[in-house]
This record gives sequence, C-alpha cells and structure tokens, in this order.
Amino acid sequence: MLTKLAGGRIYDPAQGRDGDIGDLFVRDGRIVADPGTAPDETIDLSGKVVMAGAIDIHSHIAGGKVNLARLLMAEEHRAEPFAAEGLCRCGGGVATPSTHVTGCRYAQMGYTAAFEPAMLASNARHAHLEMADIPLIDTGGYLVLGNDDLFLELLASGAGEAAIADYVGWMLTATRSLAVKSVNPGGINAFKYNQRKLDVDAAGPFHEITPRRILTALAAAVRRLGVPHPLHLHGFNLGVPGNIEATLDSIAAVDGLPLHLTHVQFHAYGVEGDRRFSSAAAQIAEMVNRTPTLSIDVGQIMFGQTVTASADTMAQMGNAGHAHPKKWAVMDIECDAGCGVVPFRYRDKAFVNALQWAIGLELFLLVTDPWRIFLTTDHPNGAPFTSYPELIRLLMDRDYRLAKLAELHPDVPAHCILPSLTREYTLAEIATMTRAAPARSLGLKDRGHLGPGAAADVVVYTDQPDRRAMFEKPDLVFKDGRLIVRDGVVVALAEGRTHVVEPGHDPAIESWIDRRFEARMGQKLAHFRISAEEIRNGDGLVRHDCRPGAF
Amino acid sequence: MATHRDVVCPFCGLGCDDLTVEEDVGRLAVRSTDCPVARERFAHTPPAEPPRVGGRAVPQEDAVRAAAEILRTSRAPLVAGLGTDVAGVRAALALAERVGAVVDHERSEGLYRNLAVFQRSGWIATTFAELRNRCDLLLVVGPDPAALHPRFYERWVVPAPAFQTPALREVIFLCGEPLETTRAVLGGVPFTVVPGEATRIGAVAAELSAALTDPTGAPPEIAGLAQRLRAAHYAVVAWTASGFPGAHADLAVERLARLVQDVNRLTRCAGLPLSGYDNVVGANQVCTWQLGVPLRTSLAGGAPRHDPHRFAWERFQHSADAVLWVSAFRPEVPAFPPGKAVVALAQPGTTFAAEPAVVIPVGTPGIDHAAHVFRGDSIVALRAGRLIDRGLPDAAAVLSAITAALPQEASC
Repeated sequence: MLTKLAGGRIYDPAQGRDGDIGDLFVRDGRIVADPGTAPDETIDLSGKVVMAGAIDIHSHIAGGKVNLARLLMAEEHRAEPFAAEGLCRCGGGVATPSTHVTGCRYAQMGYTAAFEPAMLASNARHAHLEMADIPLIDTGGYLVLGNDDLFLELLASGAGEAAIADYVGWMLTATRSLAVKSVNPGGINAFKYNQRKLDVDAAGPFHEITPRRILTALAAAVRRLGVPHPLHLHGFNLGVPGNIEATLDSIAAVDGLPLHLTHVQFHAYGVEGDRRFSSAAAQIAEMVNRTPTLSIDVGQIMFGQTVTASADTMAQMGNAGHAHPKKWAVMDIECDAGCGVVPFRYRDKAFVNALQWAIGLELFLLVTDPWRIFLTTDHPNGAPFTSYPELIRLLMDRDYRLAKLAELHPDVPAHCILPSLTREYTLAEIATMTRAAPARSLGLKDRGHLGPGAAADVVVYTDQPDRRAMFEKPDLVFKDGRLIVRDGVVVALAEGRTHVVEPGHDPAIESWIDRRFEARMGQKLAHFRISAEEIRNGDGLVRHDCRPGAF
Repeated sequence: MATHRDVVCPFCGLGCDDLTVEEDVGRLAVRSTDCPVARERFAHTPPAEPPRVGGRAVPQEDAVRAAAEILRTSRAPLVAGLGTDVAGVRAALALAERVGAVVDHERSEGLYRNLAVFQRSGWIATTFAELRNRCDLLLVVGPDPAALHPRFYERWVVPAPAFQTPALREVIFLCGEPLETTRAVLGGVPFTVVPGEATRIGAVAAELSAALTDPTGAPPEIAGLAQRLRAAHYAVVAWTASGFPGAHADLAVERLARLVQDVNRLTRCAGLPLSGYDNVVGANQVCTWQLGVPLRTSLAGGAPRHDPHRFAWERFQHSADAVLWVSAFRPEVPAFPPGKAVVALAQPGTTFAAEPAVVIPVGTPGIDHAAHVFRGDSIVALRAGRLIDRGLPDAAAVLSAITAALPQEASC
C-alpha cells in the first residue's frame, strides 16, 4: 500500500525543509522516496502544515511515583473522571492522567512519543508494564543512577573508568533503558543519612563520595559507552533561590563532556533584588549559547493545580511545606533512589510563581539554537503536558505573551527582562525543538524527521494565527503510517514501541554486581534483569546504536 | 524428577525468589525453606478439571459463553477476587469496563487501611532492601508480621545492615508479641518487647510522638522508646494493618504515619506498611495506572467512580446480581449471598459453599504460567516463571475470551 501525502507545506528541519510545498510517500509504515509509481491512495494536504510526530523528551508518564501521585491526587480524580470516548478507554486525571488518557491526549496533540525520564532500576519492570498500557505513542525510560549504593560503592572502591562504564552499560541493558539520568547526584543517598543539603564538593555520608565525582563519572561513562543521549541531569538545589551557582558548577564539573540539563527553569534562580529571588535565565542562556556540548529542556511552569513528583527526596522534603493541598509523600527506595510527591498550585498572583513563569520563557527566548533546547513542562511538575499548545502560543506570539504577563503579579516585569524580549518562534523552530532535536539528542535515527526510511509518524495542521488552537488539534495524525487521529478524534488504536540502547560492555562486571545483589538486595540478579520478551509481550523493543567514544 | 532453582514465590508479597522446588509427576514440593505459605501453595497442584456450567462438565467455549451471558444480562456485576497476575488484572479490568462492573481484590481491606491514610495525608515510607541494609532500629507495631509473611525476619531483618555504621540493628516489638518462630530466627539480633494492647496502637503512637520532644509525664517505657527513636540513624516502623483490630484501624495507621513524620524532624525514619497477598498490590497498581483511581471502583456509570466504602467487595456483593470471582492463587472462594449468579475462575480442587453457575479452572501464576506480580512494598515487580504444564488456561486468557464473547458494542 503506497500512500501519497500531497502538496503540504513541509517543516522538516532535519532535512532542511522550511515550509516548502512537497509530497510525502508512505509505504509499510515508513516514509519512502517518490517511487515513481501511482499511489494507492492520495491525501490532499494543500495549504496544510506538515511535520513529523512530536517527541516529548521529558515527561513523567509511568512508574511508581506516578501511581503514588495519582493516589495522592484523589480529589483531582474525583473531579475529573473521563468516560470512554470511542476507542479511548475510560480513566481520569489532568496532572496525573491514567494510561489511556495519557496516550490519547498526547496523540490528539500530534505527539507520537514521550519518554519517562526517571525510571528507577528497582522499579523499571513496573514502569515498563505501565508504559505498555499507554496506547498510540512510543515510550522509553531513562535510568536513574548516581544515588544507588552499589554505584557509590564501586566509585569508593577506586574503580576505573572502564569498570564504571561496564556497570552503567550492564544496568542500562538489564533495565531496558534508553539513556542515563542522574537526580541530585549523591543527594538522595545522603538524605537517607538525614542530610538535608549536600554541596557539590562535599563528601557524602557513608560512601564519602562527592557529587562532583558522581557527575563526572557518569558523564564519562555515557560518553565511553557511546550512549547517544548525554547524561540527563536533574541538578542540585532544585527550587532554591541562588541555585544558579550550583547549576553553573555542575556544567563546569563535566569538563566539556556532553551534558543535558533538565527542567533548567527550576535551577535558574538568583538572589538579586529586594525579594532575594531573581531570574538567572540570562546567565544560563549565555552558558548554553557558548557551550555546544550542552543542551537543556526548560520545565516551564503554567498556572494552576498540579503535582510535583521527583526522585529528589532531599528537595521534595524541603518543599513539602508548600504542598497544596496539604499532603505529601516521600519514599526511600531499594538502596537505589527515592521519590517525593508534593501537590502544588502555581498562582499567577504570587510573585515567586509568576517569576518562575517568566524565567522559563526567558530561557526559551534567550537560547539561540533550537537544536539544544527542548519544549517541556517537566510534566506534571511544572504543568500537565496538555498545556504545550498554550506554551507554543506564548513562544510564537509576543503580543499574547505581553498580555499574559500583564495579568501576573505586578512586580514581576521589573524583576525580569521578559518584557524586552521581542523574539517570536517560527514554525521551523517549533518543529526543531519538538521533533528533530529531541530525536537527534536521543539517537532515534528514524524518528523526528520525514526523510526516506523514517517511521511514518506524520502530523498535519491547519495554519492558524492562534497557535494554541493550531497545536491543540491537528487535522491528521499518522503513527507508523496509520491514521490514528482525525480532527481531534482517535480513529484507530495503535501500539507504541519501547526505545532502548544496549551498549557494549565487559560482561565480567556481572559477577561483581551478582555478589552484591546476593549479599544485600534480597533479589537474584537473574530476576532483576528484564528479559526482552517481557516488554510488550516480546514485540516492542527498538534498539538504537551506541557509538563508543574515544578515550 | 526435576529440580527448579531460584524460583519466585508469588503468594505472600514478600517476593522471595530463592526457592528450590522439586517436581515429581506434576507434583511440586518446596525443599529450600520451611515457609508454610510457600510449602502449602506450591504443593497444591491437583490435575486439571473441566469447566462446569450448573455443576456439569462442559467444553471451555460453552463455559465462556455462559459466563458472558451472565455478565451481559447483569444489571450490577461485581468483578472481584482478582487473585491473578498483572496480565489477569488487565484482562479483568477490560471486562469490567465492558460490563460496567465494580472491581475489587479479595485482600483489599488491609491495603485500604493504609491507602486511606495515604490518600488523606501522604506518608514517608521505605522498601525491603532499605530495611535490610540501612535500618538500625526496627519498630514492629501490632501483631507479628511473620504470621502472614513467614520469612520477613530471615530475609530482611537478620542480615546486618551493609550501609549503616555501626552495622548493627535492634528490633522493638510494640503492642504485639513476637511469635516463637520469630524469637528463634532473630537469633543474635537484640530485641525487646514493649507490651501493650493492639487496640491501643493509635494512642500509643500519639504518646510516642508527644514524648519525642517532651518526655515529661510519659510512661517510662514510652519515654525510653522515644529516646531510642531519636537516637537511631534510620528507624523503620513496620506494621501489618490487616491484623489491626477494630472497625477504624486506619486511624491507628494515621497515628503511625504521623509518628514517622515527627521522628523525621529529628533524624531519619520511614514506615513500612506490609501487605501484598495474592498480588493485591499489583492489582491495585494496575487499577491505579489504568483508571487513575485504585481498587474499589465502579465502572457502571461510564467513568470510574472510586469509593472505598461503597465499592468494597464485601459490601457490594449484597447489591450485586452477578459476581465474577478470580482466585488463581488459592483453592478458596468466599460463600456469596444466596441468589447471586456466580462465575468462578478458580484453581482446580477449589471447594465451594454452593456450586457457582459457572466454574472455569485456571492455572496458578508462577506455577502453570509465567507471571508478573508485585512485591508487598509496591516498588519491585517480579517475573515468576512456569514450572509445570497441567493444561490449564491462565486467568487472563479466560477473561479475554469472556470479553470477546460479549456483544460488540462499546461501553465503559
């Protein structure tokens, strides 16, 4: 079956296409070059905007902390139950949607992939079982390392770079992960010894390893293994005024190795001004603009009720006093990491929240290269992912942005440079930051673009001046060549895939890990390892190449 | 004769994965542990039986059709028991959604005493490996958990904490006596008993909270215990809520959760609510991720409605006109009120108080088929293997077949 998508305006930055009119050909779920034969079906896209399926590089969609957040957000689920809509099964939730609601809402917005950025090794099997129940979109998980006692023990033993990389490679493969995440390296572990703060160069308790050492070791291991995505770092002192120093410190700590800083908005705070809370977005942006090995996602906040769910127990315990409603949960997990769940309501009339909003937008507007900044709200921590269309409008429409700014706490304009920023994102830049760039960063060679060989994840929009309306409801969404959404309605269910890497490593590390599992974890290593047949009944793994770096 | 090593035990939620099980012509015997739960459950492998409708043996398709007909004509169905693996729970929820049923797990009462507190106020909790490797003071509150989870101490308490200095641990029993077997297995681990009535758990926890910062006026054993909690590096407070007496046991849990929070102002402390029989934690996890709300939910109105009181199966069975009950872990099914149309997916050899309308024998997860089950501390999921083949279908396949046999109209 050959389908021709005819005459659309194609925004495909990976292929250098910036709105030129052209045809796409789809066969067996893939984009193919014009075969010169008559298509079986032609879909006229004249005047329409055509992009690859969007990819969310950082969204908490599955796993233990997400289920804890659903349980804690009992009021939301009582208020927002959803009946089945056609093919979308019933469920509920806005900040903590159920699996079918998650898949359907993403697909309805033109997203065809979303990645869980904080998969704990001990909870990986759960996360995979849950991700398999999210329909329509591809998924994958980033493995959280750097607070696990075994890793800290390995560092403390003086292990060399090769052994550390072997450990990371073994764990990535065993847990079926796509990338390496580190959350407040050393901090979650230190919290288990009642430390509520840990400086970058302070030795942690028990293992006596500094966060800087953890950070450099993980970044080096990722590079050595050739994992496409750089170390995905949730930095230090999340949410604390003045944390810009620690953020710049962590960039310096990796010493030129590739690094991705996630939800940077929460790590871009200064202590200037009469309120001792100020935007440090310009400093971060300046650093990003001159450091080609550095990428960021923003973690934009939007106003309203949400819930923050993070492995960073140290930070979440500190934030628990701000819980709204007034309840929160913290969990220490399996000598591995932890999780903290704190419901939160961002208020536009509160100075701090309003400035957080402005800081996120400043980051978007000041970072010049859309290949190294990704559109996220750190769902659900800054806002639910369903607020992306509104966020896109804020980026593409300065008048709208200024009108919204005028509604906020009156002191905010004087405390930030947002009013002076005139930049408006173009469609090509939106296509880059939501498609081409995340695919390239994650090493997904056949996603995020519309060149021959790509998976036929294609989204068709009507060009509307109201960019929120445009991106809220694409006309057509194709997943692997199959039409899944028409005019906002899910018309076919498709199964997603699970994206993973399996970096080469010396299997000798397994006996070291095995001895420690046997002695400590109360679980056999053979049972810890997740077999390929467990993922989507053995039919769903997509393996991506690793290119080991030179050392 | 075959020997299976490192077998995962899916029954009590402790997640033991080190069993040696011998197989002899379809019969299994656990050789590596005295755990009575594992020994009894693995030993129960009678031969497959045919499905029955109205007490008469019928082919599987006929039983599936009869089950579908009962659910199709039911006005208030209950899909419960849910003693099955993750795949079985998924299939049960899909069926429940189609027929508009109430869903619950047989063992949810103990779980809900904890969940009610979690939903109201949250808590600070921990997992088994943290207990084993970091905890220097274990406070066991109420009835000894080993009665339900026999290897609790052997696997998670007796080994010295690897990531604590000094690598020592003591155990204190509060408002509950350790079993004789517990005293024996603890061996060299120092333990003390602070006596008290199990009915006073909430009150004692409140006294302890108060004594943390102001011990004046507290009974000496409470003041002493508060001092030990303060001095601990990482205390764990463990309880088995299903064993708490009284109708409002969740209030005792709430006091314990508050105690843990109060200790955390001074040092580190975490709660360990124990449950997990028959994959109740897995059933609750799947329900929560698929519906957004936990067990004890009705799908009758189109959208999920969660009500831990109304939709508890023991209450709702009286309003239901049809019951589909899944019990793949144990040869037991409750006696339902008379007049209910009952469809039982149960182990072979299950005895019934009254013959159900439809009985479909199913295999046991981790014995007849590979299965995902959750450990009781809710974080770790395990993959149990397949040991023997009795020719029994798994619950997921039967449930999916029943759903497929329903008329093809959409409903939630």
